Amino acid sequence: MIKYLSTLLVGVLLLNSSVYADESAEHDSLEKELAYLAAERKVVVTASKIEEHVDKTIATTTVITQDDIAHIGARNLLDVLRLVPGIGITQTQIGVREIEVRGVKTLLSEKVQIMLNGHPLDHNLQNAGSTLLYDDLPVDTIKRVEVVRGPGSALYGANAFLAVINIITQSAKDLNGVQTSAGWGSFDTQQYRASWGKQFKNSAEAALHFNFTDTNGINSPIPADSRSVQGLSSNAPGKSQLTEGRYDLEWQLGYQDFKLDGRYINKKAGTFFGTAAVLSDSRTQQDYNDYFLRLSRAWKIKDNFTVDTQLFHDFFSYDNIWQIAPAQFIRNGVQDTRTGGEIQANYHISDAQTLISGFSYAKEQQGHLIDQAGSDPAHLTQVLPSTEARTRNRWGVYIEDVWDPLKNLRMTVGARYDRYSDFGGTFNPRMGFNWEFIKNYSLKFSYGSAYRAPAFGELGSANNLVLLGNPALQPEVVKTFESGIIAHPIKGLTAQTTYYHSSINQLISPVAGQSAVFQYANNGSVIAEGVELEARYDFDGKLQGSYISANHVLQHSVQLGQQLADVPRQRTNFTANWAFDNTWSSFAHVLIKGNTSRNLGDVRNDVPGYALFDLGLLGKNMFGKQVDISFNVYNLLDKRYYDPAPASLNFIGDYQMSGRAFFGHVSLKF
Amino acid sequence: MKPINFYNVFILLAVFFAGTGFAQSNKILIVNSEKTVFRYEKIATEFKKVLQQNAYSWTEFNLDDHANADADLKQLVQQENPALIYCIGTQAYSLARNVAPNKKLLFSAAINWRRLDVGVGTYGIANELSSAQEMSLLHYFFPTIKTIGLLYSDKFSREYVETIKKDALNSGINIINKSINDAQEISEVLNDLLPQIDMFWIISDPVVLSNKESVRQIFQAAQQQNKPVYAYSDVYIEQGAVLAISADIATIGRQSAGLAMMVDQGKVPAGTVQSPAGSTVTLNKCALDALKLQFNQDALDSVNKIVGCEQ
Repeated sequence: MIKYLSTLLVGVLLLNSSVYADESAEHDSLEKELAYLAAERKVVVTASKIEEHVDKTIATTTVITQDDIAHIGARNLLDVLRLVPGIGITQTQIGVREIEVRGVKTLLSEKVQIMLNGHPLDHNLQNAGSTLLYDDLPVDTIKRVEVVRGPGSALYGANAFLAVINIITQSAKDLNGVQTSAGWGSFDTQQYRASWGKQFKNSAEAALHFNFTDTNGINSPIPADSRSVQGLSSNAPGKSQLTEGRYDLEWQLGYQDFKLDGRYINKKAGTFFGTAAVLSDSRTQQDYNDYFLRLSRAWKIKDNFTVDTQLFHDFFSYDNIWQIAPAQFIRNGVQDTRTGGEIQANYHISDAQTLISGFSYAKEQQGHLIDQAGSDPAHLTQVLPSTEARTRNRWGVYIEDVWDPLKNLRMTVGARYDRYSDFGGTFNPRMGFNWEFIKNYSLKFSYGSAYRAPAFGELGSANNLVLLGNPALQPEVVKTFESGIIAHPIKGLTAQTTYYHSSINQLISPVAGQSAVFQYANNGSVIAEGVELEARYDFDGKLQGSYISANHVLQHSVQLGQQLADVPRQRTNFTANWAFDNTWSSFAHVLIKGNTSRNLGDVRNDVPGYALFDLGLLGKNMFGKQVDISFNVYNLLDKRYYDPAPASLNFIGDYQMSGRAFFGHVSLKF
Repeated sequence: MKPINFYNVFILLAVFFAGTGFAQSNKILIVNSEKTVFRYEKIATEFKKVLQQNAYSWTEFNLDDHANADADLKQLVQQENPALIYCIGTQAYSLARNVAPNKKLLFSAAINWRRLDVGVGTYGIANELSSAQEMSLLHYFFPTIKTIGLLYSDKFSREYVETIKKDALNSGINIINKSINDAQEISEVLNDLLPQIDMFWIISDPVVLSNKESVRQIFQAAQQQNKPVYAYSDVYIEQGAVLAISADIATIGRQSAGLAMMVDQGKVPAGTVQSPAGSTVTLNKCALDALKLQFNQDALDSVNKIVGCEQ
């Protein structure tokens, strides 16, 4: 009887099938079905707006996904960042690479806030900036990089001055097993990575990442140094000694609403040229240790009211030996710590409005100073300290309201007040709107200010005949307004144009001093303005996975009426990714950089612009979806090009960068 | 006749004929959420075919053609005074409901219609098949299946899942449902869910099925744990679903047209929402054999399409 009824039921349900179900199935496909579901997703009854969509945020944001990184064949973080509009990467004499943002760059990139999973990495209190450790960050464990150009102090506090770069790494659920990878390339470069992640039934989860990276560096020819040009004994002519080796260990442990995460890094490096305009040999050694430990908990008070709390402890130390003459060495070291906490309340007032408010406190300390000098790096003697032990307390309160008064209009208003024990308070507002004035066309406008707190070295450098600190320094301040249009004129195409204008005041820079040649002071201002154009087209159908993109930047940065030195007026990136099938794809990148001018008084010709061509091949999900293989060639045409050397090194020309270089990479998932 | 006079006459005639058209009481306004979406467009095409055969006139309004869709639709409704507004997709229905709350509305292709603000003059063709019938079928095809699991989002599918659970009880099947807010949670929730169930059911939830990666994660997890997957559409057969019962899209368009005409003629009780009339049953024999799943051989007669390993 049951069988009969079931058959009857099937018959009723399928009664019309033979008549109607004739042609639809063959036209269906997963893509079409997902497109339909995506269209349905646009109508949401309740929406969480803590995480904003790139199209809706008021900030100028670029997101680089794990998939993008795989296609790029990136060897480190900077290989990823150099494709972002408005960002340029250049070599420095001491080895660390500079991140130029919107026409402004400094030796240690201290005006850029780099964060790891939302935690600021500016642990270097002596000099500020995070690039000493994070410029060659391995990318294998990165899930996403978010680059927000423009000031971010209203939310993130100090040092989110020109840009915020948030690196998000793979979590336990992203890993769900073991992933390993290895990469080998030119200059004896080798990278290894092992990650493990698991989610347990009792709501516990754990993710561990380990990276090892080692390279002999690009061995650029250095024809002369300040000694060789005087006929004194010298290592010049010679080659750069930028060997680099690092270990990274990252952990993310979670249980219920608690999370304990952090990262430890040990990095040892040589130097590209050296300090004091003297070419160094392999005895210059930079040794960095860095970690942070963060305990956080998310509290759900009500469905529309949550509170995020965290306690953190950051540590940074360096112990560096610098060769300042063939038989003269100095050794410097410090230990910096930052300990504090933050509480943030998130209140969803309605589907259209979210209020975020928080309080943070941190205590920063510098100590364990090392200052030695001598003719043999193994037997150095104590000398007067070059900086001072220092303690700073700071607290900040912030509030931000993200409100959609209309469904096509988002307004954001926020402000943050920070108070420092050593220089007082600073107030930074942020406001803007994103208005979809025509369907698929949005207009953005934002205004905000940001500050960078004086670093301990800028306040307290001492016993130095060349450069002294200044305890009376105030934070440098930037006020930026920007406006842009994001358009999706046809399916698959996203185009964006942004104009920005930044005014940096109370610039912290060395000026002529009384008891030394230079002393830090709040002096002068910089105006930086420019236009960023970018477009990306993602192919559909059989070419799904393929895309072409381009960005072009026109920038003009002026100090005292002069274009800033060593910064190009224009830069262009073209990229194309061609997916041959579900496994194989090829990636091509062309970077075109304009000439860079010199400092006032530097009589050298401009550094010529150049075009570089990179090519890569990627095979994904091979051998049962467990193996990814990539091979990339950088500077395929072996173009000889140079990054600008500062005016103080004008006798040696500029830094010759790498010729053609290869990098192969294999990744395994278990 | 001078050309200018000819044009004047032509325009007058055009206005006259257009005016008579506007005055027709049985004119239907079709509002399409996004004409580039295959499902919406297919439904619209089939709907218009039936209207044409029955000498109905219609006007079309595609939301993606209008920057200011609210105002434009409002103006069009005033201008056309349609007897009924046919809304394809949730976006179209939501807009029409706001703009013309007093008009008769007919919807289709709206995920989980029970979440919609449905008024007295609203009719519809559900997007999902009757879950009671699906339950009975699943029980008929797979007699040993006792527990079925599904992922859904509260935002889009809460009411639908509640209906499924009620219908499952009547069929003696236990449903274990897990809610997610973001596709990122899929792996985590599946790890917990799959060991507890005999079969996983993919429902048409836009959060769960956010992208290809979400689909891949679901099938990868199910495969790893040897769990069969039943899906609401045969597009998932290729991904590894063992069985799919799909509502036929073309039928929804024709069925909607039939319902629209009956509404126009006053032959349908207010608030009628019909289940889709046509469906296709697709069996993945390859996946079935691989899973060594017990299948009622008598049910093979009811299968429209059997997919083997070679396909």
